[in-house]
Amino acid sequence: MRADSALAGSTTDGQRPPDDVVLSVRNLKTQFRTKQGVVQAVRDVSFDVKRSEKVGIVGESGCGKSALALSLLGLIEPPGCVTGGEVWLNGRVVSNLGERAMSAVHGKEISLIFQDSMTALNPIKSIGDQIAEAILRHQGNVGKRGARKRAAELLAEVEVPNAERRLVDYPHEYSGGMRQRAMIAIALANEPDVVIADEPTTALDVTTQAQVLDLLDRIVTQHQTAILLITHNLGIVAEFCERVVVMYAGRIVERSTTMDTFHRAVHPYTEALLKSVPRPDRLERAPLASIPGAPPDLANLDQGCSFEPRCFVGRGRDVCRERAPDPTTVGPPDQPIVSECHFAHERYERLIAEGEA
Amino acid sequence: MHDPALSFAVGVLGILVFLAVFGPLLWRKSPLLPDLGASLQPPSRAHPMGTDDVGRDIFARFNEGAQISLAVGAIVVLAGAVVGGAIGLIAGVTGSWPDTVLMRILDAILAFPPLILAMAVTVGLGAGAVTASVGIIITTIPYYARLLRSDVLKLRSQLFVEAAAAIGASPRRILLRHIAPHTMPTLLIQSAAVFGYAILTLAALGFVGLGVQVPTPEWGTMITDGLNYALTGQWWISLFPGIGVLAAVVAASIIADRARDILDPRGQYTFV
Amino acid sequence: MLSKLGGALLAILGASIIAFVFMRLLPGDPSRLIAGPLATPEAIEATRQALGLSDPIIVQYAKYISNFLTGDWGFSFSAGESVSTLIGARLPATIELGIYAFVGSFLAAVFFALAATYRQRPVVDGSVRAVSFFGLGVPPFWFAIMLLVVFFERLPWFPGPEGRLSPGVEPPPSVTGLYTVDALIAGEFGTFVNALHHLVLPSIALGLAVFAYLVRLLRANLLEVAREPFLVVARSKGIRRWRVFSRHALPNAFLPTLTASGLLLAQLIAGSVLIEKVFNWPGVGTLVVDSILRQDFAVVQAFILLAAMAYVVINLVVDVLYGVVDPRVRIGSKAE
Repeated sequence: MRADSALAGSTTDGQRPPDDVVLSVRNLKTQFRTKQGVVQAVRDVSFDVKRSEKVGIVGESGCGKSALALSLLGLIEPPGCVTGGEVWLNGRVVSNLGERAMSAVHGKEISLIFQDSMTALNPIKSIGDQIAEAILRHQGNVGKRGARKRAAELLAEVEVPNAERRLVDYPHEYSGGMRQRAMIAIALANEPDVVIADEPTTALDVTTQAQVLDLLDRIVTQHQTAILLITHNLGIVAEFCERVVVMYAGRIVERSTTMDTFHRAVHPYTEALLKSVPRPDRLERAPLASIPGAPPDLANLDQGCSFEPRCFVGRGRDVCRERAPDPTTVGPPDQPIVSECHFAHERYERLIAEGEA
Repeated sequence: MHDPALSFAVGVLGILVFLAVFGPLLWRKSPLLPDLGASLQPPSRAHPMGTDDVGRDIFARFNEGAQISLAVGAIVVLAGAVVGGAIGLIAGVTGSWPDTVLMRILDAILAFPPLILAMAVTVGLGAGAVTASVGIIITTIPYYARLLRSDVLKLRSQLFVEAAAAIGASPRRILLRHIAPHTMPTLLIQSAAVFGYAILTLAALGFVGLGVQVPTPEWGTMITDGLNYALTGQWWISLFPGIGVLAAVVAASIIADRARDILDPRGQYTFV
Repeated sequence: MLSKLGGALLAILGASIIAFVFMRLLPGDPSRLIAGPLATPEAIEATRQALGLSDPIIVQYAKYISNFLTGDWGFSFSAGESVSTLIGARLPATIELGIYAFVGSFLAAVFFALAATYRQRPVVDGSVRAVSFFGLGVPPFWFAIMLLVVFFERLPWFPGPEGRLSPGVEPPPSVTGLYTVDALIAGEFGTFVNALHHLVLPSIALGLAVFAYLVRLLRANLLEVAREPFLVVARSKGIRRWRVFSRHALPNAFLPTLTASGLLLAQLIAGSVLIEKVFNWPGVGTLVVDSILRQDFAVVQAFILLAAMAYVVINLVVDVLYGVVDPRVRIGSKAE
């Protein structure tokens, strides 16, 4: 057991996580069988989320973020399959539950906010029915009328104007922002402990995006819901999350506090990702960096570090080509940075030295 | 080619074409001459598909029937594609009132269940192979025309067509060089499906007495011939021509299906 | 809404012109055709008068339409009765067969489309696809004959081509004209079973094409819907897999099949013409085929126009129904 595990890292296999950890993912592996071979979408992913914590998962598209979300929920469908690891939720393993038992957990303890609200809502059921369906599943005793009343309250809570009247409307009659609000209402209908939000605002325009994020922030804070925010937008992460998990090629390559992610990016990929974001607050007009190359083919992975071909630190070095790096912990014990890089220590020390200079 | 269904379809069509072309040359029994002494014989070495009520060899008639069915299928495909395609191109390119008028006429044709319209035509023009073909062709025209028209409308707004217009290409040239070639996939998919439809409809017309007339062996009329004998033990008279129709139509629809998968992955073209 | 109705009226108008053109103008002498091959010169002359063949074409067409609309569909020389009486008497048999064929093939199509797509088992899916290719490619009348050969002649499981009831069984007192329904109303259980027994093979023969078409359409739609994210979202609410499939995926897959209703009706109309004769089913289809063989074209002519009208009407009804069922095209829905 590593020293950092209880704080920012992950608890070890088979062991019950501390009480304040609501979601614990251990060595999760997910594969998809395709014509091109077995795609390893999630490779040995471990992390913890504490009660009412806001954690961001960032990475390029195709890095396995969405596959990770569905794997956590146990909703990977063939040709995909979770091939290893555990998911702990509220102090027990849920990744081995059957379909029936897991459906009792869905919505009640863990739920999902999906990226594109147009396709994430059933086009031929009214919004009210879709919210009420979630309520009735876990609070059947409220009855149809009660569920309807509760649905109206939820819609009002997510700031849909004329909530009562708009229950009968269909998804296409809502604007994009309103649909996303309705989506949030559905996900929070049964006050789950964890919400996974998969690119919740990507389809929206920038002003609506900010409004919806503010709303989401307010609501999860009020309800003390932990949220796992999956996004490729680092700006959102900076504003919203307390901790950040960086994914690359199906693995978590770095996890640290948001502050550390932005100011002490130990993993070269994290650093490259940050450099590719426009920074209007910086005065110098440096050219916007892009990361050369493309993410590796997840069906044909080499034995070395999967970022090596694109890395400005490790490219061409033997150790990077031959051996995949283990997670390395650096930084103070109460705020560790866990980074999968052979040069994590060197890079961290240089960052500190630069910061003091 | 790792596609067993497609290989099967091509193989079946190949066999039917072979029988239609070389069958009469290699199997020299008469499809027309009655031989009352050999009537209602079950399949044997002398008569692989048996004989009918007047002793004609069913295998010889089957081959002759293959000729007629495949020929009518081909003619319907060609005529339907040319006439329907031309109407679709004209309607799509000209727009405005010719488009409206043409589409209204096609709507009227589409108001009939296809087989019923083909029946109406053959009743009006007199039953026979040619009128049956005409009837079937008329029912296929709206489907060709509508598909091509929507293709043209889609193509017209494409950049390469607008670019051609911008550099001063004549409308005629744009139509023939830039639009028509791109409608080929549509035509091919549609034609494969229509081929099967034509063979099936010809047999149906033959069955109700409005298709190819006796004594010419046509699969549909051959099935009718067997109707009165099927329930007294002589099942072979109806069986083989029916298998002929089934094989040809299924092969055509498999090919249409595969052509659609390959040429039109998003699946916008379908036929009855 | 009004434009749809207008379009349907225009289509019927066009269809009637087409029918008129082919039935009246092209053959040598329609009065001879309609009066029948054995008609005396006087009878032909009388028919000529009745059809108004010496009038201008427009007048002839107007007369043709007004006669049709007032229920005067002509006179069948071979039956010695008016066509409307003939068709009216035969219609219930055809409708009863059509209903059983449709309901049976619909239920079967739903079942097999579900089997083919739920959890996506390749073997089941492959067999369902093969059956649908067979159903769309098989000549229905031939399939009907083969059904009789196997299930009547070889295995004596079902009655032969003897119509709606066994010889000697009296039809139930007529209320709806549908024997199974009338028998139940009259409480004649034996007659009900007999009528049902006689319906099995004809319904299968008639329904096969409808089944094949529907199962193919439903399967494709289900596979399309199966990729929709809202199904995953529904699961994430805690809704069980089967319920998500039946309450969310199925209704969405069903909607587009509504638009195919017209085609299905066309299949049933054409099918009844082809099937009924094989089973000696005393319906409109048998009447039409017999009339063709007897060169009694008054019946055929009326039938063709009726079929076209039924086809246009069902398409119109489906159009309207679609607007009611699908919220996205619902008429007068409030837009943002």
